[in-house]
Amino acid sequence: MSTPFLEVKDVRKAYGAIRAVDGVTFNVGPGEIVGVIGPNGSGKTTLFNSILGQIKPTSGDVAFCGEAITGMSPLELSRRGIGRTFQTLQVFGKLSVRDNLIAAAQEFKGSLGSRLFAPPDAGLGEHADRMIEMFRLTHVAHLDAGTLSYGQQKLIDIAMAFMPAPRLVLLDEPCAGVNPSLVDQLRELLIELNKAQGGSFVVIEHNMDFIMRLCPHVICMVEGKVLAEGPPQTVQANRQVLEAYLGN
Amino acid sequence: MNAKGIALIVALAALAALAAVMKRSDVYLMTLCCVYLMATFGLNLTVGYAGQMSLGQAAFFGIGAYCAAILLKFGWPFFTVLPVAALLCFVVGLALGFPALRVQHHYLAFATLGFNILVFLIMRNEEKITGGTFGISSIPRPSVFGFSTDHHLAYFYFTLVSLVIVAGLLWWLLRSPWGRAFAALRDNPIRAESLGVNITAYTLLAFAIGAACAGIGGVYYASLVEFIEPGPFHFSTSLMMLLAVIVGGSGRFFGPVIGTIVIILLPEILRSSNMEALKFMQKWYLVFFGVAVVALMIWLPGGILSLFDRRAKTPAKELAK
Repeated sequence: MSTPFLEVKDVRKAYGAIRAVDGVTFNVGPGEIVGVIGPNGSGKTTLFNSILGQIKPTSGDVAFCGEAITGMSPLELSRRGIGRTFQTLQVFGKLSVRDNLIAAAQEFKGSLGSRLFAPPDAGLGEHADRMIEMFRLTHVAHLDAGTLSYGQQKLIDIAMAFMPAPRLVLLDEPCAGVNPSLVDQLRELLIELNKAQGGSFVVIEHNMDFIMRLCPHVICMVEGKVLAEGPPQTVQANRQVLEAYLGN
Repeated sequence: MNAKGIALIVALAALAALAAVMKRSDVYLMTLCCVYLMATFGLNLTVGYAGQMSLGQAAFFGIGAYCAAILLKFGWPFFTVLPVAALLCFVVGLALGFPALRVQHHYLAFATLGFNILVFLIMRNEEKITGGTFGISSIPRPSVFGFSTDHHLAYFYFTLVSLVIVAGLLWWLLRSPWGRAFAALRDNPIRAESLGVNITAYTLLAFAIGAACAGIGGVYYASLVEFIEPGPFHFSTSLMMLLAVIVGGSGRFFGPVIGTIVIILLPEILRSSNMEALKFMQKWYLVFFGVAVVALMIWLPGGILSLFDRRAKTPAKELAK
């Protein structure tokens, strides 16, 4: 494996006696796409939230490009080039689609004071338009995001995460609630973005076909622990994974 | 300039022309509207654009007014007092923003309400500074480029121009990336933070800028009424200002204009109406006003300006059929 870009070492998160994440260790290399699978309640989202500063891990270390980032706030992580999407829809409902995308990247341009005197689109209009075109949202670009369908909002949500061209993106169930006809389109978009922006992705997903075709490396979590790890075919063929994930 | 800009200029010119032929009391009411508008424009930024609940706007209005009354009586020039009062309110607003970093919604409403009561008590009890319930009288009006604004019409024009400047500055601010960041903070602070929006800074700024606007309004209020006492800065005024923002359309730039007109002018129009058909209103105007506000909140919870949204959406709905 190439030099670790994201290093997650023995991360644990306990709520009383319940160990939501129990000693998870894995690495993500530059430009790599890693999939995280596991049944509901296996601790995938808690792991994401522990890495991304949404919750503080009970113990363990997270490093990004060699720098310890354990317990850093989401704001500090975003400044280091780490982006994310959430399990549930998280768009700015009363802003237009275009404004959602601009809002997603404007804070990375200049200082707080300089942004007051920046043009209304913060110089990101063209970039936002390109992303809107890429995600096939041109026909709704001027509409309030909150008025659109779930699938369209999901696309906006994902496009927002990629607007600032982050070095690492953690995607939490990008296919959840998305029309099956959009899933292939979404996978192609992620591959295209991976090539164009060169970032690393960690993707939580229940859609096996999606994850197997997108991620060269897959981690399977069960009851807060890593049960299996490796190429998708190997993980898919693992008997323990089949039993834990799909049942007997 | 687009059609909306031209319409706005025409409306302002018409208002200025109309004032010249109006009674002194009516011009006073219009000036009062302009003064309150400065505060409600600020409150709209805090509540409507940044999504931070505030029931303390009258406190900043009072701080601005007392700051002006005291300093003007010391002989400070009006245009020195104005930035000093705005800056003082900005700083106090920053401080009031801190509770907003920990609590939201009705908890924040009560925190700001408590602040308003605290400021009100200081105004009432610190007699050596504020004059207590006796207040401060003989507050001078400014001279602008050598022209006195002692005449009611001159002061109205001065206040109107000042209001246009304050509104223009807020318009520019809300059109800048700051405005989008405020909206992101309002719509989804967790997502906003994950996208690099410094929610601490923007929350504090939303309170501070809103407070500064109220402080500026307070300065103009002190010179308008020429006598201040704590009464007008009671938390009921904060409620009235919040009502003005919500009635007009929270988070819509011109919402406070409509709301303030309704809240300030409508009761007066009903009370002083000499029309035969409306004469019964002289006794019942507050009841009618209360019912009108309740009805408005039921049928137009997005405020009066949301009426235009409904009209605009109707053709799309028809097309969808």
